[in-house]
Amino acid sequence: MIHQYQLGGYNIVLDSCSGSVHVVDEVAYDIIALYEKEGRESIIAAMNEKYADREDITPADVDECFEQVESLRKCGKLFAPDTFAGMAGHLKEKTSGVVKALCLHIAHTCNLNCAYCFASQGKYHGDRAVMSFEVGKQALDFLVANSGTRRNLEVDFFGGEPLMNFDVVKQLVAYARSIEKKHNKNFRFTLTTNGVLIDDDVIDFANRECSNVVLSLDGRKEIHDRYRVDFSGNGSWEKIVPKFQKFVEARGGKNYYIRGTFTHANPDFLKDIQVMLDLGFTELSMEPVVCAPGDPSELTAEDLPIVLEQYEKLAELMLERDRADKPFTFYHYMIDLMGGPCIYKRISGCGSGTEYMAVTPWGDLYPCHQFVGEESFKLGDIWSGVTNTERQCEFASCNVYARPDCKDCWAKLYCSGGCAANAYHATGSVTGVYKYGCELFRKRMECAIMVEIARTLARKQK
Amino acid sequence: MKHIETIETRNLCESAKNGGCGECQTSCQSACKTSCGIANQQCENKESK
Repeated sequence: MIHQYQLGGYNIVLDSCSGSVHVVDEVAYDIIALYEKEGRESIIAAMNEKYADREDITPADVDECFEQVESLRKCGKLFAPDTFAGMAGHLKEKTSGVVKALCLHIAHTCNLNCAYCFASQGKYHGDRAVMSFEVGKQALDFLVANSGTRRNLEVDFFGGEPLMNFDVVKQLVAYARSIEKKHNKNFRFTLTTNGVLIDDDVIDFANRECSNVVLSLDGRKEIHDRYRVDFSGNGSWEKIVPKFQKFVEARGGKNYYIRGTFTHANPDFLKDIQVMLDLGFTELSMEPVVCAPGDPSELTAEDLPIVLEQYEKLAELMLERDRADKPFTFYHYMIDLMGGPCIYKRISGCGSGTEYMAVTPWGDLYPCHQFVGEESFKLGDIWSGVTNTERQCEFASCNVYARPDCKDCWAKLYCSGGCAANAYHATGSVTGVYKYGCELFRKRMECAIMVEIARTLARKQK
Repeated sequence: MKHIETIETRNLCESAKNGGCGECQTSCQSACKTSCGIANQQCENKESK
């Protein structure tokens, strides 16, 4: 499947099934667009007619260009057939049957009262609760016992606000470190925090033990403070920004993300990214809000063209900053064309409900953090394991080829069918698609690939 | 004259042969948490690249 687009001054051709990326001149761009619709003679005649008054494009150039397209087709880098559909079930099986990542809901409570929170201020539509050490320890034992030969195990301390139960976080990390060698495992801990409780102790601990930290900041003060307020209604920006700056500086290059959310209040989110950069942060993530339909924060159809334009401008900004030797990272534009995921991963997706599960403070298992609170999605618990096998089967069979809407999408092997929770909330089915999210995703991929092309060509020139 | 510049990419068909070790990061575990995408994940299996 071919996808052609023009961005950043490049004519770009993606061959979805081989994963190939080509930058082409205008003649090749036109030939490729016609290649599957018309025969050689007809295409060449059309090109000669179109470029008749162009001295720099001769009939010999058109012939030569056609041969180059042919040559790439023959070596499987253009018009590669989709040969993965029949293998999809088997491919997903290969990555099923083991658990390798847990999202530990260490605290179903929060010290902020953000109106747009998908977790309903950390409570997930339930009661406030914190995880005990005993429950957390059992969750880690469950993970090790069910991880098969996987060596790298991921544990995210999530909430609510996990630092409201920081002592248990520290105890669980100490416990995990005490058992990982014996079981030949390597725990990778991450922490997602709103920053309110960050102090020197948290910084020392996280910089020693956490491979990544995710720090919630929405950008401009007035945007951040619109939603991210305490229970008295006071904004949190002034309080957390200096803490984040100190935290990031102390990380000494270890991974972190400043993670923002954009909503109907700031579809022009590039201004917020600029504020993050001005504050000295360079590892950034900016996510579209996830909320109930009709919520005031919900992104609207009118917001969509604004958001799409912002993504393009963001790509331009990244290249400008590269040239000024002030590069920054945007999570969704990280794409390693040579070292990216294999076809198994591209078909299987995030692994929610199979490789990845969320654990509530009282030890229940859910397919992921976004399903917590949806009782019918409860898979089991950390003592008995997965008992709702019917529900788990839905997730095990949930691959990109199981989603009819993805069949003809050029981006399907970049997103693997998208987020099951977003799909469920938009359509009532985990194999549906959240079409608004698809629009955003496709634009992000176009931009990410353009940035990578520009960087690759710049490296070649050097 | 070169009309097409091909950027070097991983061959997806080839990756079916030795891929699927499962050691790579879970997609949204440590960053976005609300929108899945796998394109930005790193492969951790050096043999399969």
